[in-house]
Amino acid sequence: MTAPTEPHPKPGPRKTRKTRKTSMVKALNGALDLAMERFPEMFLIGESIGELGGDFGVTRRLWAKYGADRVRDTPLSEAAIIGTSVGAAMVGMRPVAEIMFADFLGECYDQIVNNAAKLHYMFDGQFSAPLVIRTACGAGFGGGPHHSQSVEGWFMNIPGIVIVAPSNPADAKGLLLAAIESDDPVLFLEHKALYRSRAEVDPGYYTVPLGRAAVAREGTDVTVVGTMRMVPMALEAAAVLAGEGISVEVVDLRTIRPYDAETVVESVNRTGRAVVVNEAPGTGGLGAELSARIHEECFHRLSGPVGRVDALDTPIPFSVPLENAIMPNPAIIADAVRRQMGRS
Amino acid sequence: MDIGRQLDLYRDMWTIRAFEQGLEREFEAGNVPGMLHTGLGQEATQAALAAHLEATDCFFPDHRCHGLNALAQQRHGGDGRSIMAELFGRATGVCSGKGGSLHSADPSVGNFGDNAVEGSYMATVLGVALAYKLRRQDRVACAVIGDGTVGRGEFHESLNMAAIWDLPVLYACLNNGYAISLPAAQGLASADIVDLARGYGFPCVQVDGNDIVEATEAVATAFDHIRSGRGPYFIEFITWRWQGVFSGEFRSDEEVKYWKVDHDPILMAAEKLLRLDVPEDRLHAIESAERERIEEWIRFAKDSPEPDLAKATADVYIGWEVAGR
Repeated sequence: MTAPTEPHPKPGPRKTRKTRKTSMVKALNGALDLAMERFPEMFLIGESIGELGGDFGVTRRLWAKYGADRVRDTPLSEAAIIGTSVGAAMVGMRPVAEIMFADFLGECYDQIVNNAAKLHYMFDGQFSAPLVIRTACGAGFGGGPHHSQSVEGWFMNIPGIVIVAPSNPADAKGLLLAAIESDDPVLFLEHKALYRSRAEVDPGYYTVPLGRAAVAREGTDVTVVGTMRMVPMALEAAAVLAGEGISVEVVDLRTIRPYDAETVVESVNRTGRAVVVNEAPGTGGLGAELSARIHEECFHRLSGPVGRVDALDTPIPFSVPLENAIMPNPAIIADAVRRQMGRS
Repeated sequence: MDIGRQLDLYRDMWTIRAFEQGLEREFEAGNVPGMLHTGLGQEATQAALAAHLEATDCFFPDHRCHGLNALAQQRHGGDGRSIMAELFGRATGVCSGKGGSLHSADPSVGNFGDNAVEGSYMATVLGVALAYKLRRQDRVACAVIGDGTVGRGEFHESLNMAAIWDLPVLYACLNNGYAISLPAAQGLASADIVDLARGYGFPCVQVDGNDIVEATEAVATAFDHIRSGRGPYFIEFITWRWQGVFSGEFRSDEEVKYWKVDHDPILMAAEKLLRLDVPEDRLHAIESAERERIEEWIRFAKDSPEPDLAKATADVYIGWEVAGR
């Protein structure tokens, strides 16, 4: 994959326009609204996304504004939802599908993996699949084994799919608009625990480039790489560690596939130490990929092996204390950073 | 049906049979990579569909539809040789050799490509049909499926969604009696698939898929229904595949004889034409011309270059390049 060539964007709110404190749900809703206005070929499709506005309210008010033809409620038919999106995309429409919970992606895995991701390639560029699949993922509220999973690892081994995973409302909006503009199929992961997080968001139309990481906090001693809910956790750990004299750089990957290895490698080569944080189980998946990549590309600059923080290698239990017991948290991340500094 | 039209369909069936027999010979000689599923025995249904599909319609062919794919090229200004070359994995194939037998697509003739996960496009066809409906185009989106696909969950999801949204979908179900080796009577709650489809509330018919006249008339009725905006339509074509399984023939001698001799679509059509006083020589001439045509296609495919190796990493993404070694 070609690495990005422009410098990564700097952290902090966008300053070009007046911003408003907005939740991630509202930021995503605003992005969909702006895109529906801009792209007549776009439609939304999913379960109870119409009058109800979706289980989490991301499509609220769009049915009333754009009508049932463009905001389409479906039966509980995940394969048909994604199949319909793929077929419509093949003839030039821009569907944005909602799969209510990422855990349900198994029901339409074939449509994503064997249709959406491959058809541009296997049909020699004659068709494309410019669709976006939005889905709510992640743990943090006692959702149990089938409403809490981090599924990026299920899709990381699939060439042709783009996986986007925002950590904050401003990125979520700009990345969703970029995903809708993209001619490649995008799996857009929305972490449930971040839906209510609030930050300054530009109310206008803007995009955040796909395939580009952001440095969420600059630092000089250790690089921590993560996505979605792991970013605010890493930032919390970094604030604590600053008080101990440890300067942590936090890289927010934002796009998981194809990911911005250049920014990660540049940061680790500078700090000489890395911790990879991942909400999914540690076997395979994003943490394993990042760790391997950093070892391959930064080996001679590393002070020691890459540190890893993952969920335990278990399904996700319903009980909140049990769930907390298997999940990463800021204290675990801070400990991993201290070990990098020889202060365990 | 007038004799001229019957002769055209007779010729089309020979295009398919000659294509598949030539291909089978080349496959056995080791000249065709991968796997091979032939449409031998199912020529009438494929010819009937090809006769009605316009280039602006859409069809998703199944894995036995090489002949339908070739006929779509012939009818709509494409090149039938590009289907043959694709099966040989050559640069001159419709997908430059990247798709092969199971993924030959060409949107310029309405061919949206097979998906080798049987029945997967039962879901995809909905989206094409939805786009046609939203754009108020009187086009038909057709999924060609087999009886085995009826076992897939997507079969239900697709018929249900097409029904509730009144989508312009033609389900052409070629019931050849077996899902791999499992008889439809054992694998499906009703061996008459049409009875399973009827619950969705749109017109469903069962026809003799080896009778070219009956099959063609059924397809014509279905296209009229769909193009006039009256929603989906389901046809179950009763047919039979000549090909056994990879390990060989698993069906009884009596059954094989019935379908290959007594109820063969081409022999049945020939008998009908002879009764209409078409000279036997004329039928032989049609067969010879199609066999010659296919031999030329095979020579073209074999003489075509292998794809440029740069194709291996091309078109994974639109927005990104994938590095080579």
